[in-house]
Amino acid sequence: MKLFKFAQSRSLWMMHFCTGCGAVELPPTMTSRFDMERFGIIPMATPRQSDLLLITGYLTVKTLKRVVRAYEQMPTPRYVIGFGSCTINGGMYWDSYNVIKKLELYIPVDLYINGCMPRPEAIIDAFLKLREMIDKGEANAWKKYIENYEWYKKNQAEVFDVEKWSLKK
Amino acid sequence: MTVEETIKKDIETTFGELVRVEIERKHRVRAYTPRNMVLPMLAYLKQRGFHQFTLLTCVDWIKDGKFELVYNLYSLNYNVHVLISTKINRDKATMPTAINVYEMAFDYEREIHEMFGVEFEGHPRLDEFLLEDWKGIPPMRKDFDTRKYVEEKYGMKDLTKELFTRKEQPYRGPGSNG
Repeated sequence: MKLFKFAQSRSLWMMHFCTGCGAVELPPTMTSRFDMERFGIIPMATPRQSDLLLITGYLTVKTLKRVVRAYEQMPTPRYVIGFGSCTINGGMYWDSYNVIKKLELYIPVDLYINGCMPRPEAIIDAFLKLREMIDKGEANAWKKYIENYEWYKKNQAEVFDVEKWSLKK
Repeated sequence: MTVEETIKKDIETTFGELVRVEIERKHRVRAYTPRNMVLPMLAYLKQRGFHQFTLLTCVDWIKDGKFELVYNLYSLNYNVHVLISTKINRDKATMPTAINVYEMAFDYEREIHEMFGVEFEGHPRLDEFLLEDWKGIPPMRKDFDTRKYVEEKYGMKDLTKELFTRKEQPYRGPGSNG
């Protein structure tokens, strides 16, 4: 079990859902200056092959549907990092009519990175923290989603039509 | 005579009393037009050389009970913008569509339909555009209360209320008597 956790935490494949301006900070994180690949983290194109969902920036209702769908396609164990203040409380979109404010109402979040924008150092720091959490067995947000599935679906239904958008079993 | 003055004179001689034309500043002419003269005006200006439909926008004059639609045309030859602004009734707002004159108006009209609720008569596709699953009044109208909507829909408390009704006295620096 320990070996599994060791392996998981050191080969995180990340899907970055670049919805907002946060995407700007990722190229320097990926490329040679900050080089996140030394921690075994590489960007992945599809949710079905990735362990980590990085949500960079604000989510409109329209985007949230796609995020939920992407999240539900990911294999467990899956981890979510909310990136920037927009995912915490809406950030500068705190009174916008079409932007969701608290990401954790709709999908479970393991870790938040505060800031507008967080620098690549902060992102690397969050990755290391997530690695630590996985090693200790604390990154269990994906279990919360399975256990409280109805609650999350209820919250999602308040902002969009869930029937039309969730994956059929 | 400058280009702006020539254009102003041309519009006035064609449309006469119906249209009031002003030169707002260099490169910008504004024509206040009644609702039924907008399409003839667009057609006239198109053959006059204004080939670019830059923008269609809407202003909500809630106290007058009017929407103001502003058609923004541009000509590369003259380097002049012509703004055609017209006022229509706010409740049950309708406007004939301009896509037969300028095809560019297609998406602008969809957007204004969604954000303000103006019905464009003859537009083939006035359905969901930027918003999805929207219930309630269109969000860009002045009587739409954004903060109340946010509080109800996203469960986010309006923190500014607490901030501005706080009881304690502001700190005025050391040594002050308050």
